[in-house]
Amino acid sequence: MLDNYLPILVFIAIGIAFGVGPIFAGFILGPHRPDAEKLSPYECGFEAFEDSRMAFDVRYYLVAILFILFDLEIAFLFPWAVVLDQLGWFGFWAMVVFLGILVIGFIYEWKKGALEWE
Amino acid sequence: MSFERILFYLFAAILVFAALRVISSRNPVHSALFLVLAFFTSSALWILLEAEFLAITLVLVYVGAVMVLFLFVVMMLDINFAPLREGFTRYLPLGAVVALVIVAEIVLVLLRGFDTLSGGAPAPKPADYSNTRAIGEVLYTDYLLPFEIASVILLVAIIAAIALTLRKRPGTRHQDPGKQVQVRKSDRLRIVEMKAEPRAGRAES
Repeated sequence: MLDNYLPILVFIAIGIAFGVGPIFAGFILGPHRPDAEKLSPYECGFEAFEDSRMAFDVRYYLVAILFILFDLEIAFLFPWAVVLDQLGWFGFWAMVVFLGILVIGFIYEWKKGALEWE
Repeated sequence: MSFERILFYLFAAILVFAALRVISSRNPVHSALFLVLAFFTSSALWILLEAEFLAITLVLVYVGAVMVLFLFVVMMLDINFAPLREGFTRYLPLGAVVALVIVAEIVLVLLRGFDTLSGGAPAPKPADYSNTRAIGEVLYTDYLLPFEIASVILLVAIIAAIALTLRKRPGTRHQDPGKQVQVRKSDRLRIVEMKAEPRAGRAES
């Protein structure tokens, strides 16, 4: 079974070589004239005003965590879709119950206004 | 040494390196990106174990979703991380004790596990073997209760996330497209009937 993944490994190796190779070649072949000014922070001609890090709104966090939860739900759907022909109605209703419980959460977040972006 | 074993040691070395950089990197965003690398290499290790569905789920869920959340949290906190690094030597003994306990537990588990695995490595699966199918066959039948409990846990997480982070801003102005579409002429426009005014002479010639 691992033989199936050999092309992927080759792809990864070639991809890394394509990405790293030119950088490495430029590092070796390019001229080296180090200067402190080259490393200084630059923002349209003047020194940077502030740190690039800044606080995000907490609402991004809510969107991200809701995305994770429904992403996990999708992960449960994949094996179910593959074996549904063997499971029959029992497996079908098992997934309906699973999705039904999550739909309760979905209705809750919709009614609560968590999907609204004011 | 077989090719698979060489790959295992290669991925394991990258994994250990990435994990070390996660805790030693000065920039927390770099730590998060090294954690992505650690997830990728551990998913490669899981593929070597022929657990392909779990490996791809690891990439999908952890790299795709959880790491985005981590980056949000790292950026959202907006704390200067330099003060957090103070007292590293002071907390080092306690951390070492915790690490030793964890290592001892892992060794105990692995020693018992190797005893039961005395039959050697399981035979490699044929090329058309579907790991996803094997998981699905047991997950929705034998492990039905844990599966349904997982949905309840996800529901609790949805409600907890909303309860903790949902903030209403009273002052914000936003458009409601539904209301905009539903508006009628009578809501906005008022026609006033009145007599025409006679012209009061020419103001200017």
